[in-house]
Amino acid sequence: MAIGISYIISLLILFGIYAIFALGLNLEWGFTGILNFGHVAFFGIGAYSTVILNQMGVPIYIAIVAGIIIAGLFGVLVALPAMRLRGDYFAIVTIGFSEIVRYFMLNEEWLTGGPLGLRDFDIPLSFVPSQYYNIAMLILVLALLALTYLILKALINSPWGRVLKSIREDEDVSKALGKNVFRYKIQSIALGSAIAGLAGILLAFNHKYLNPNYYMPLITFYAWIIVILGGSGNNKGTILGALIFWTFMSLTRFSPGYLPISSTDLGALRMVIIGLLLIVLMMYKPEGLLGNKEELKLDI
Amino acid sequence: MIQQLIFGIVTGSIIALGAIGLSMIYDILDLVNFAHGDFMTLGAYLTFLFNVSLNLNLILAAALGIILTGVISLILDKIMWKKLRDKGAGSITLLITAIGLALVIRNLIVFQWGGSNVGFDLPLSQNLNFHGIMISTSGVLTVVVAALLMIALDLILRKTKIGKAMRALSDNKNLARITGINVDNIILWTWGIGTSFAAVGGVLYGLNTVIRPDMGWFLLLPIFAAVILGGIGNPYGAMVGGLIIGISQEMSTIILPSSYKIAVSFVILILVMLIKPEGIFGEK
Repeated sequence: MAIGISYIISLLILFGIYAIFALGLNLEWGFTGILNFGHVAFFGIGAYSTVILNQMGVPIYIAIVAGIIIAGLFGVLVALPAMRLRGDYFAIVTIGFSEIVRYFMLNEEWLTGGPLGLRDFDIPLSFVPSQYYNIAMLILVLALLALTYLILKALINSPWGRVLKSIREDEDVSKALGKNVFRYKIQSIALGSAIAGLAGILLAFNHKYLNPNYYMPLITFYAWIIVILGGSGNNKGTILGALIFWTFMSLTRFSPGYLPISSTDLGALRMVIIGLLLIVLMMYKPEGLLGNKEELKLDI
Repeated sequence: MIQQLIFGIVTGSIIALGAIGLSMIYDILDLVNFAHGDFMTLGAYLTFLFNVSLNLNLILAAALGIILTGVISLILDKIMWKKLRDKGAGSITLLITAIGLALVIRNLIVFQWGGSNVGFDLPLSQNLNFHGIMISTSGVLTVVVAALLMIALDLILRKTKIGKAMRALSDNKNLARITGINVDNIILWTWGIGTSFAAVGGVLYGLNTVIRPDMGWFLLLPIFAAVILGGIGNPYGAMVGGLIIGISQEMSTIILPSSYKIAVSFVILILVMLIKPEGIFGEK
């Protein structure tokens, strides 16, 4: 059963990383109503910034902090011009931005290593003996997930968080009350993107490797499915959503041995089920598992 | 330079065929159809099914594939979109649903036909050569078919009752309703025309290059750029927008690595949204 345990540990690490990633999106979408379809861009920017800085000689812990800040700054950079747009336009612009980022990673080999990606960078916890490394990584990821959750909880229950929710419910009312809606939205996307950056950095450490293919637009949709399944605007729901999502992903990854089906076919069927789940949720339970139907209005 | 222009017109015609439907559906159903590119892919694969697996000749296969794609979009309207409309679902709910549908269509295609490239059963075609400028026969066919369909659409919109009702609905939904236009009927026509045009675009794309499960996804983002450039709900704008995007993508290869082609359309998209979000032909 040793393989089983190490498999569960690696599953839990991925769950933790994607839960952090999705919490960033939930802040933007669930609490502020921002339709960010380029979340994966910040996931990638955080990871690449940290690794590139580290390869330039910056100590890894400083590079991590810098990577998180750079991801947040890029969030501001995109949102400053784009936030003036309607929600659906914002979605298209952000998805376009995330693809530009991916093309940049693929093409600018001098900086990003191109399609081969980047390896040979420092990894935190490298003092841990290799047979315990995964457990140490899991503890780190879960600790950071807990930290992110607690910080977000404190922020959302603060006056700042209540303004965000009021923007989600009705921007005009918040404006009429004298709130600078634009600034709050920028702050929300900056923080959400920084959280995505942190998750991306953790993913790079987990794989000990970086590659532009980790940043396909599909990854953004993973985060959306996690958030919607759990219930938009509910951080516990997001964590539950991430757990269900990764359990489903890995159970179906397990099965090739038991089912008469190739792994390409299985991968395709898995995405069909995820797509159907999204459709069914939107049609019959748009508030998700733990979302508040009264509070959450999907259409703003 | 002229070579790139010609490639650009061919690419632009395909993008325009996708953009017309996306624009009409966006406008009349308030739906940002993220699955539209996957309907292009579906059209190409259904044609491939009739052509290669069932051995029909390519023109017949294409006709069947395109009509079947249109019919599927009508069925989806009955089982999904109409229900969401009746519940009063807003544009964001519809957008997320469309993303789900896109995942379903694309991955059913991978499941059925695998992830690798396929191609139609074609006689080897000669490239036409004018003093060193190459034009492929499929390229000529693409431009001719696209132009004929656009003329046909123009006639439908201006001369037929359905077309006039579509334009009325696009101008002012409430006014159109109270004048007794059957909105559900117009929506079905919009799906049928929009999706079959997309399928034609997908088949033509397959003729010019190869058929891949993710082809529609990669076409979708330039198509969005064309739609926004032309102004949402303006089929003529979508045609021109498609050509502009196609030509700029191909022309960019003169100064940029060709892998940045799609990025060029995003940059145009972002600039238009920031400078003139109603599109170059749109009125506020």
